[in-house]
Amino acid sequence: MNQEISGGLDNTRCPEIMKILSLGKRSGRLFLNNGAETGNIFFRDGLIIHAQCGVLQGAKAIYELTVWTSGEYQFFVDDAPDIITVDISMDDILNEASNRIRQMDRITSLIPSSSVIYSLDPDIKEKDISLKSIQWKVLANINGKRSIADIAQNVGLGVSDAMKVFYTLIKLELLRDADVSESETAVISIDLPETSFISALSNDLIRAIGPIAPFIIRETAQDMDLDLLADDVGQRAALIETLSSKIPDERMSLKFLDTMTDWLNAEG
Amino acid sequence: MNNLIIQYLKKASIHADRKGNMKGTVKDLLKVSGVHGYAFIRDKNIQIKLPSKHKFSGAKKSIMQLYENIVPVQNRPGNIVEIYLEDMVLTMFVSGTTMLMVMSSTRVNLALLRMTGKLVIANMAKESR
Repeated sequence: MNQEISGGLDNTRCPEIMKILSLGKRSGRLFLNNGAETGNIFFRDGLIIHAQCGVLQGAKAIYELTVWTSGEYQFFVDDAPDIITVDISMDDILNEASNRIRQMDRITSLIPSSSVIYSLDPDIKEKDISLKSIQWKVLANINGKRSIADIAQNVGLGVSDAMKVFYTLIKLELLRDADVSESETAVISIDLPETSFISALSNDLIRAIGPIAPFIIRETAQDMDLDLLADDVGQRAALIETLSSKIPDERMSLKFLDTMTDWLNAEG
Repeated sequence: MNNLIIQYLKKASIHADRKGNMKGTVKDLLKVSGVHGYAFIRDKNIQIKLPSKHKFSGAKKSIMQLYENIVPVQNRPGNIVEIYLEDMVLTMFVSGTTMLMVMSSTRVNLALLRMTGKLVIANMAKESR
């Protein structure tokens, strides 16, 4: 393995390295490591033919790597990929990369890093909001404990894309810094018991009614005087049935019943 | 709180539509411990599945009478009617002109029965459309 070029990303960012490799019509693998994640960009005669970063592949992986501002890089001459996932001109890639970097600079002015933890704003219940499905998906994962990087992994997003979603959610005043709001949001950060039943119930209800689901579960169990830790099929079925009646959309309610009936039959 | 749920549903129901059909069938109902059998009525047609010695296995007339009393009611508060007998519970699920009546022991897990019954009647109603 012939390693030829290496250095630090704090001095030379990924788009500059890509430009140099493209101008030199190089073939091989550019390996990048930011301390937490690694990624690879493969070149053939100066053109990018494949990229991978975590679960991301292709153009998404390239754009994820272009915004890294720390870590190191190495270029391994003649390393070839098994697959080809990129068919975009270098000019287009570099244009999009510079857009992403500009965007990322704006985001990092508000969110310093992907290790930051946010929790839901206590007033979120009263807000009339309209979000894209990926924003809902991220919102449903925010619990005052998971960092942006953790959530990105959970929902299958690149860290920079997850930060973009967080940026929007913060601008919509739906989130608060977890440290600041920890005591005030005690009512929001409901800790449900961590059993397989509660986890299945909670995940499914979140899919049906959104991030408010844990509160509804807690509230319903209290109203019904049920012990969430009780290993009793009758109690569980009663809770599921009552929760399903609280889902306003009939199709979603039936879907919830369907999944949970399966769960009860298999595990309960 | 309702706003939040309604906003979420606008997105989520789209995804729910894309997923496949629900699995609730009468076979699932019969698997619920304590269920004896069922009667399925649509318009004038009735289909009964019960053990031959069951007291409702020949009660076609009584079941049709119940159907005629329950189904046409306009302002019913829900779509499930439960009748508790001394040794049995009759649970009726209604959707349009379709009624599914489940006969079970009094010790049946009624919540599980209602959950499964709701799925079955929803599938039946969908098939009849």
